[in-house]
Amino acid sequence: MEMVHARPVTLIQVAGLRKVFRKPEKAPGLRGSLRHLLQRRFSEHVAVDGIDLSVAQGEAVAYVGPNGAGKSTTVKMLSGILVPTAGQVLVDGLVPYRARVENARRVGVVFGQRTQLWWDLPVRDSLELLRDMHGLGAARYRETLARLDDVLGLADLLPVVARKLSLGQRMRADLAAALLHEPRIVYLDEPTIGLDIAVKDRVRSFVRRLVADGTTVMLTTHDLADIEDICRRIVIIDAGRVVYDGDLQSVKDTHVRERSMSFELAAGLPGVDRIAARLPGAQVRAGSDDRELTVTFDRMTLGAREVLAAVLAEAEIVDMHIDEPAIETVVRKVYAGQLRPEPDGGVDRETVS
Amino acid sequence: MTFVTAGAVPLPADTRSRRIRAYRSMARMALKSLLAYQTSFLFGMLASAFGVLSMLYLWRSALAAGPRQGFDWPQMKAYLLVAFVVGSLVSSYTDYRMANRIQQGDVAMDLVRPVDYQWSRLAESVGFAVYEAGTAIVVVLAAAAIFGGMPPPDRDTVPLFILSALLVLPLRFGIVYLSGLLVFWTQNYVGVQAARIALITLFSGALVPLAFLPEWMRVIATYLPFVGMASTPALLYTGSLDGSDATTAVLVQAAWAVALWWLARLMWSAAARKLTVHGG
Ligand SMILES: Nc1ncnc2c1ncn2[C@@H]1O[C@H](COP(=O)(O)OP(=O)(O)OP(=O)(O)O)[C@@H](O)[C@H]1O
Ligand SMILES: [Mg+2]
Repeated sequence: MEMVHARPVTLIQVAGLRKVFRKPEKAPGLRGSLRHLLQRRFSEHVAVDGIDLSVAQGEAVAYVGPNGAGKSTTVKMLSGILVPTAGQVLVDGLVPYRARVENARRVGVVFGQRTQLWWDLPVRDSLELLRDMHGLGAARYRETLARLDDVLGLADLLPVVARKLSLGQRMRADLAAALLHEPRIVYLDEPTIGLDIAVKDRVRSFVRRLVADGTTVMLTTHDLADIEDICRRIVIIDAGRVVYDGDLQSVKDTHVRERSMSFELAAGLPGVDRIAARLPGAQVRAGSDDRELTVTFDRMTLGAREVLAAVLAEAEIVDMHIDEPAIETVVRKVYAGQLRPEPDGGVDRETVS
Repeated sequence: MTFVTAGAVPLPADTRSRRIRAYRSMARMALKSLLAYQTSFLFGMLASAFGVLSMLYLWRSALAAGPRQGFDWPQMKAYLLVAFVVGSLVSSYTDYRMANRIQQGDVAMDLVRPVDYQWSRLAESVGFAVYEAGTAIVVVLAAAAIFGGMPPPDRDTVPLFILSALLVLPLRFGIVYLSGLLVFWTQNYVGVQAARIALITLFSGALVPLAFLPEWMRVIATYLPFVGMASTPALLYTGSLDGSDATTAVLVQAAWAVALWWLARLMWSAAARKLTVHGG
């Protein structure tokens, strides 16, 4: 069965996906409710507005966008929970909402804000129930559980009733619950929400490992540090539309031309004007201490070497570093509406086969 | 371009045995989750015990002067106790949970599991029913002890009685599940549940045998699904329903159980289309 394909197998295929929610338009109070009963009026809200997406097997895709952009709604349609208003979804050859049960056997889903666990039962019972649901044999269950325990540290959690778990513990247990059947596709919707740094790190390295093992991962998060070392591809959506789809590094290169260099100087500077005069177009700022200095510049018009030379000419440098552009910056631009799709539909995008 | 080995391990085809195992396990877990709450168990039992005792006191004094509508006191006692046991099956854990999960949007998590939604709820209801029947039988034994025993079932109708009692479960499940699904439309469940309970109480004959209702209501009730939820098995137990009437009554029960199941399927597919999972 060792077939090698020259082209990646597309596992998730989405075309023109739309979801419109109908909200009852109702005046407040009892009168409003009664009125609504008589003349039912609804307002429509487009949560997902024509999304095209295709994800190859083994890819790790970051799916980001501001609050209310439609990320969770997309994930719900991909996992067969919601029926799309229009458009096509195909996941591993299945239409999720039509073949919901079969689809659920193949994918794993984590919604950070919800739990899969049975609230009144110990974690072990929930996992055993999932074992039975997925029809896993005793040996395979034991092996998978041991592997998950290795990364997630489950052993202490197994006898605890889900209701009594802390948020971080619950998330670890939920990850185990979603991955017990070793799905080929995993959707993670904000898996690090509300977690402390240590648990976040643990979850991240766990997801990295999943990706390394060849699992196809779609990761939704507001913590952009989550994606930097997990995903190579980023899909940014806003108001239900894809505004960017491509390589994480190249989006940074194209959209984050700003670089920033920070210096620690041997002696305090009387002012930054003289340095600023040497670097037209750059922003030169003194830090909280007059021995600190930050220069922000456009890497297309100025090089790091010129900045360094300018500072050296005016002061003695003790220490310095260059800030790598963070994906935060790109996403912040999107959130601020600076990176909208062109009106003619020419979305800034690199389509992946 | 990455090189990928195609379809790592093909998923084995789904089997009936996987599904049966899944539902059996769900039923077991549902029972287990109820057993986790010892205090609510005691309070629930006390509450239903008081309900049953007051009902029995009431009917004993009502029948003190002699039989009415063909019921004498021992018969009425047996009728009420049987109606109580079967009526306590699939009472409200099922729809309470369903409605809550739909309202909170947790139904999303039910839908990412590889099981059918309706079968899953039935499996859970069976688990709950074991618990409900257990408590009800304890209450009935206590009540029988206080009220001087309970007459045995009528010999001739015992097989039909057993069949009829078993049919109560899918019947009640059908009604409870259907009313739970209404939350997709109403958003608020309290009213729906109250209406459901009122309908069942009146038309099932659990509180007052249907023989005491006006003629026209009794006729309507005969063809409604509710009559099979208490009256039919209780009358079969006391032997008041026999011959072809008995067979017809059980057939009506079975027909409603099947009809409600398919009605619920239809309603689910309508609900799934308009399903809007809240939050997240
Ligand atoms: N059940 C619903 N009924 C009506 N509107 C909804 C419903 N669910 C979501 N919406 C709306 O659809 C839009 C997209 O919601 P969605 O949950 O997909 O956003 P998101 O990108 O996941 O946001 P967040 O980052 O806040 O989780 C929002 O405007 C939201 O109000
Ligand atoms: Mg979301």
